[in-house]
Amino acid sequence: MTGLSDILHLLYTANLWQAALAAAVLLLLPALGGVISERSGVVNIAMEGMMLTGAFFGVVADLAWHNPWLATGVAILAGGLMALVHAVVSIRFHADQIVSGIAINIFAAGITVFLVNRIYGIQDVGHATQSELLPNFNVPGLDQLPFLGQVLFQQNVVVYAALILLVLVHIVLFRTRLGLRIRAVGEHPQAADTAGINVYLIRYGAVVTSGFLSGLAGAFLAIGVSNTFVPNMTDGRGYIALAAMIFGKWTPFGAFVACLIFGLGQAIYDNNSIIHVSPYLLSMLPYILTLVVLAGLVGRSSPPAADGIPYVPGSE
Amino acid sequence: MGQTRLRLLGLVAVALMLAAACGGTSSNTSTKQFKIGLVTDIGGLNDKSFNHLADVGLLKAVTDFNVKGDVKESKTGDDYIPNLTNFASTGYDLVIGVGFLMQEAVGTVSGQFPNVHFAIIDGSGTDAAGNDLKHANVASLFFREQDAGAMVGVISGMLEKQGKLKNNKGVISAVGGVSIPPVNHYIAGYKWAATMEDPGIKVLVGYSNDFTDPAKCKGVAQQQIQGNSDVVFQVAGGCGLGALQAAGQAGVKSIGVDADQKDADPSVIASALKKVDVATYTAIKSVVNGQFAAGALTFDIQNDGAGYQVDNFTLPADILAEVTKIHDEIKAGTLTPPADIPA
Repeated sequence: MTGLSDILHLLYTANLWQAALAAAVLLLLPALGGVISERSGVVNIAMEGMMLTGAFFGVVADLAWHNPWLATGVAILAGGLMALVHAVVSIRFHADQIVSGIAINIFAAGITVFLVNRIYGIQDVGHATQSELLPNFNVPGLDQLPFLGQVLFQQNVVVYAALILLVLVHIVLFRTRLGLRIRAVGEHPQAADTAGINVYLIRYGAVVTSGFLSGLAGAFLAIGVSNTFVPNMTDGRGYIALAAMIFGKWTPFGAFVACLIFGLGQAIYDNNSIIHVSPYLLSMLPYILTLVVLAGLVGRSSPPAADGIPYVPGSE
Repeated sequence: MGQTRLRLLGLVAVALMLAAACGGTSSNTSTKQFKIGLVTDIGGLNDKSFNHLADVGLLKAVTDFNVKGDVKESKTGDDYIPNLTNFASTGYDLVIGVGFLMQEAVGTVSGQFPNVHFAIIDGSGTDAAGNDLKHANVASLFFREQDAGAMVGVISGMLEKQGKLKNNKGVISAVGGVSIPPVNHYIAGYKWAATMEDPGIKVLVGYSNDFTDPAKCKGVAQQQIQGNSDVVFQVAGGCGLGALQAAGQAGVKSIGVDADQKDADPSVIASALKKVDVATYTAIKSVVNGQFAAGALTFDIQNDGAGYQVDNFTLPADILAEVTKIHDEIKAGTLTPPADIPA
């Protein structure tokens, strides 16, 4: 049982929660994107690909201009462009949204590997280490708070941005007219259309926004947390974000809680040099937690009624 | 009409494949240009590590022996068999699989193409249970990674013992990718040698469970540094770049793996070298010279297949003397680093 007491001991350290929050934000951004997209009725499983694209172009731009802010902008745009492809295929051409999403994920994995070899040659990614990184920022005053100061106020700038975005997305979705329209389009597009809402425009906007958010997550991964691009470095985070979105019943704060659980699992796992448990067992932890929470606490969660159904005007 | 044409096409394709497969056995005339196919594992050519080195060996052989060299990168584990088959079925003389992860794929495909030569880095052609199938067309290129690990272990152990590093609490660490033999050999040599130099030293060993995601290795390394580690040895390919970065940001030292990783981060003081380029080149040379031998071939300090490189750092004279002494002893066979991580 030494392993268990090791973990319990860890839970009292601010260090662990600081790492957990940073890991959670990497999932939160694409999860928020997923919430927005699916609330508008477009299934988006391509966050993984959009994030990977964002990570790649973020590194490319950072190497070219040595400006992490500009590079982040490029990453966001790259994610948005990938999303636009998904939007055109699934909204304009009524294609199957799952198939389109899978296609984008595979395409992103391939094109980034191809381009990294083309642009930098085989040996040259070493330059990535010279790139400028998105900085950590300690909020003056607040960072001196005991425990919470280190957890909440000694973080990367993207973490703050993500927390603000979390609140923003919640407010927009549930407290504004735009949010009402997005949700109406996702629940009953025919009715929304009749009421004079431009279904296509709302869906395009929502999908592209999910790409922006995924691209930002990619930038955080490649030029915030790490300082290089490695093929497939997103490592399934887009898919875990998808799970977090469903776990959170398609709400921003619900998804955030799920992301925190995954992030905490990752942070605990990171301590496997000190915890006396098999690293394989430890790495299962967040997923076992998810199963328990999903089955025991969350219960049945159902997606927006028109999620995944292409809208054809006049059809019913 | 359309269907018959398709069927015809299929027949032609099969016939071509058969012809090509047989092509591998054609006699070795002096004018023949050998075709070498290299299949990377999921780390990809840009891992700045062993896939990259395998390619370096291939490129050298292309220049020296005028062979035709082609590379296929695997994006997932499901690509191994198709990529190997693709080369084996299109007249390649030698198909090289890079990495332990490809053992079963090489075992399967080498059984289907008994006339094509195969070589695999870090493994042998196995069945699903990991038993060596001992196919007569497969050369297994193994490394004594513990030799290289021991060299950087000596450096780390002595530096920590001399108390000139940041935390100075007698702790160093290693971040492994997955707990598999090639990774653990490195860590075994590292821990063994560091403990030999400083019996009181504590060596933290952690795993990222990943070879591609730098964020994961960074997380593991940060927690080790939090636990007072002064030197972080990464043994996790592309993922490990994150461990080097974590060391740099925390102001402690780091050690690269497989290739010379001095450019990966300024904190890299040395790299443990596994000369996959030497092994790849040797395998290609044996095929070109008609001296291909199946079975295990081991690369270590004795045949210059393993070693170390000091980077971004000047070793103090006493450490350099000790490192040279240990290197000579391992080379002479009087010292043998263990393959399993000491308790």
